[in-house]
Amino acid sequence: MTEPSQDHDQVAAPTQELAPVVEGAPAVKQTERPHPLTPFIRGWIVLVAIVVYGARELIPDSPGDTGFVLPELRFLLAAIAAVVLLAAVVGFVSWYFTRFVIDDEELRVETGAIFKSSKKVPFERLQSVDIIQPFAARIFGLVELRLEVGSGDNAIKLRYLQRDKAARLRDYLLVRAHGEQSSIDSAEHGADTSVFTDLSRSDRPLVTVDPLMLIGSFLLSSEFLITVALTLGAVVVTSVFGVIVYALPGLLPAVIGLVSLVGRRVIAMFNFTLADSSRGLRITRGLTALTSQSVPLDRIQGVAVSQPLLWRRLGWFRVDVDILGYGSSDGENNEDNATSVLLPVARRDQLRVALDRVLPGVDLEAIELHPSPRRARWLSWYNFWTLRYGFDDRVLITEHGWLNHRRDIVPHAKSQSVRIEQGPIQRRLRLADVHVDTPKGPVNAVARQLDTAVARELALTQLDRARAARAADRRRRQTNGTSGVADPRGELAVLDRFRISPDALLGAGSESRVFALDDERVLRIQAPGAGPEVTAQRQALSTLWADVDLGFAVPLLLDAGEFAGRRYTVERRIPGEPLSTYLASGPDRAARRTTLERYLTAAMDLQRLPVPVAGFARLIGPDAPRQYGSLADLLAAQLQRTVGPVRSRLEADLPDLAERWQRLFDDLSQRQGWPALVHGDYFPGNVLAAVQPDGTAVITGVVDFSPHTIAADPMMDVAGAIAFLGLEPGADPADEEWLTELATARLGDQARHWIGVYRRFYAFYFAEDPAVYPWSLAQLRRD
Amino acid sequence: MDDLFAPPQYTWQRLAPQYRSLRRVTTAITAAVFVVPGVIFLVMLPQLWWIGLAVIVVGLAITVPRWLLIERHYRSWGYVEREDDLYITHGVMFRTLVAVPYGRMQLVEVESGPLERAFGLAHVTLVTASASTNATIPGLVPGEAARLRDSLTQLGEAQASGL
Repeated sequence: MTEPSQDHDQVAAPTQELAPVVEGAPAVKQTERPHPLTPFIRGWIVLVAIVVYGARELIPDSPGDTGFVLPELRFLLAAIAAVVLLAAVVGFVSWYFTRFVIDDEELRVETGAIFKSSKKVPFERLQSVDIIQPFAARIFGLVELRLEVGSGDNAIKLRYLQRDKAARLRDYLLVRAHGEQSSIDSAEHGADTSVFTDLSRSDRPLVTVDPLMLIGSFLLSSEFLITVALTLGAVVVTSVFGVIVYALPGLLPAVIGLVSLVGRRVIAMFNFTLADSSRGLRITRGLTALTSQSVPLDRIQGVAVSQPLLWRRLGWFRVDVDILGYGSSDGENNEDNATSVLLPVARRDQLRVALDRVLPGVDLEAIELHPSPRRARWLSWYNFWTLRYGFDDRVLITEHGWLNHRRDIVPHAKSQSVRIEQGPIQRRLRLADVHVDTPKGPVNAVARQLDTAVARELALTQLDRARAARAADRRRRQTNGTSGVADPRGELAVLDRFRISPDALLGAGSESRVFALDDERVLRIQAPGAGPEVTAQRQALSTLWADVDLGFAVPLLLDAGEFAGRRYTVERRIPGEPLSTYLASGPDRAARRTTLERYLTAAMDLQRLPVPVAGFARLIGPDAPRQYGSLADLLAAQLQRTVGPVRSRLEADLPDLAERWQRLFDDLSQRQGWPALVHGDYFPGNVLAAVQPDGTAVITGVVDFSPHTIAADPMMDVAGAIAFLGLEPGADPADEEWLTELATARLGDQARHWIGVYRRFYAFYFAEDPAVYPWSLAQLRRD
Repeated sequence: MDDLFAPPQYTWQRLAPQYRSLRRVTTAITAAVFVVPGVIFLVMLPQLWWIGLAVIVVGLAITVPRWLLIERHYRSWGYVEREDDLYITHGVMFRTLVAVPYGRMQLVEVESGPLERAFGLAHVTLVTASASTNATIPGLVPGEAARLRDSLTQLGEAQASGL
């Protein structure tokens, strides 16, 4: 076990070895152990704890009697060694008997040397997946993976795993927790994350808490001020009476409390980042021990926004959330108390960003809040003027408190039971409280001191609202299946998964449809039937091109996945509108030609993009990358895929088809040159442009690299750029000729010939599309 | 019973009458727990008589009102199964009405302690993801408890919704 090169030795569990061999039974699964360094790290943590606490005990000792300390020290060291050894042995035993399986079918964890326990968790029950890096483990690049599985069970802790492996498992588990199908072996999981923040490229930070603001908020928080005030008060009072010596033992707990408060509120919250990944919300925080929590989008059971009195002038807020399992943590270390924090401190605009993500589509400002009746002052004399409640069809809000103003928000779909409670004095005053129960956690939604009639109305209608919200949730879940009637292709389910509406559609093509996610990202949903390899190949190309600067953008894939049977990718949003929109808007001739020149230049620039394979090759598709001996072979293979279905139709319309076909390949076999990247479908619809004040447009990006993308003759995109202009509604045929002149001027006299050849190639290649067919015929009849 | 805690359009199902006897016995036991050590204390340590007396007084202060309120407490209990949720009400001084949607129930427990069994009673507890739901119906005859459990479980399965 001391061999560090053995990352995770795979040994079948003894029970599985004894399992009877049944014909046709599934193969025995390989279980894994955590990282072999685990016992050392646990021993190390115990040692650090002893040294820290021991030092604290030794400090008050008077330095006079060193003669006594020395022999004691020997015993002390022996005792420490014994304890550390014991901890390491316990750690080793617990490591040795811990095995886990996380694969496509199940999540199972087996623990225990004497009392064996095997826990199998349905993926759908996962509430959150956290990666925790205590300082000692962080040094070795190891992390603890903690899975919350619900209210009744303790968290499953896998410690310690390698960071990359844990990140991969986390991403996979979060995908499954969302109800998506995926495979653990898929390359989509485990995007590279930063060592310091555990955020990857696909995570979009929503809120980052400024350290100064964090410290400021701590200094102004009620807990800190009360502790300090009590301590100072005790010191002042006792020194006035001259008995300060007696106050010291009392002060020690106060100081320790203060230190632990600093630990929880400042050190554990340092570098707090709330990020949005397509796998849910991700919180990363911590100065020494780094914690990264991931919560699927719909697992938040309630939100509490609080504001201590002194924060009000600064407009600061603190946000906590209820997550199943977080409330029932076993309190093993102090950081556990911090797990339910969504934002330790935030400005109003940051609060809005976070709440928008947690409760999408809920306009909290628009919800009318009702105060409690005046007679509540007899009972709640200390805060009756702050009691409020309100609701809309999505959430219920209650407010109370002025020293620490709190607003509790519970989505109806998440509310558990509803209670009306009334004490004897409340009965006299005809008042009652309405509780909307949520799982254990910081959120505690109670509408206090309501008039009895109002209370009854609120409680009974709340049940109806909750039922309606649950039914809506269920419908949403059901349509996620591929067989949904309203959503036969699963597209709505994917959109719903990202909480966007079909109105966000930006553009559509034969290969995919693109929707706006936000200002920085788009969601591309691939056509049904597109295989996972297309995504992986596009991802590989995107990574290869990430550092190439063409002066305009090419797609950058941030994330990919599959949901409701549809494959999607999340990509960087490229500013601008399709060039075809610009051309259709009727710019004047000079501006249009300037723009078209830029469009042609961009087509020529595409060949600067690197290609992952050598030679002429198909880059995207089921059998890609596939290399071909020559350009003619590649293009013949490309044509094989598309021409077949329309061949007979072409033969009917063009009597000399065979001759033309032969001539095309004779021409292609003459072409000399090196292969370079060819977009293959370069037309104004796939080119994004931003309109300038002078009426021209600047090319901002080229999108939709698809199975048409190949490594071939870069002249092809130049030809496509020109030839496909004829497909634009209201295009001026003179523009094509003008661009051909331009290309000839730049690329030499031969260019005109090759543009003609590829014009015929594309005519065959896209002829299967009925909308393109007339154009194809026109191209083939040109000569 | 005032309007605040009445179930909508339904009448409350009541507990079994033996529940009053059970309650009397438990109250008597509670009283004995305080009074017996108090008396022993008085006899053994007469010089510290006030401690024993204090224990007895506290015990009686808790149990005597409880004894007197047994009938009202029994009548304050009620539950009703509606189409989508279960209502439970109880309490004399501090009144509660709790409504648990069937779709939110995680499990239904039927339990019966030795004393309850002696009186032919059982209690049913509904567990949701929220610890504060606290929906327990005491004092049911075992047949009714089993029927309630089966019907609640069935309804819960039919309406179950994810968390």
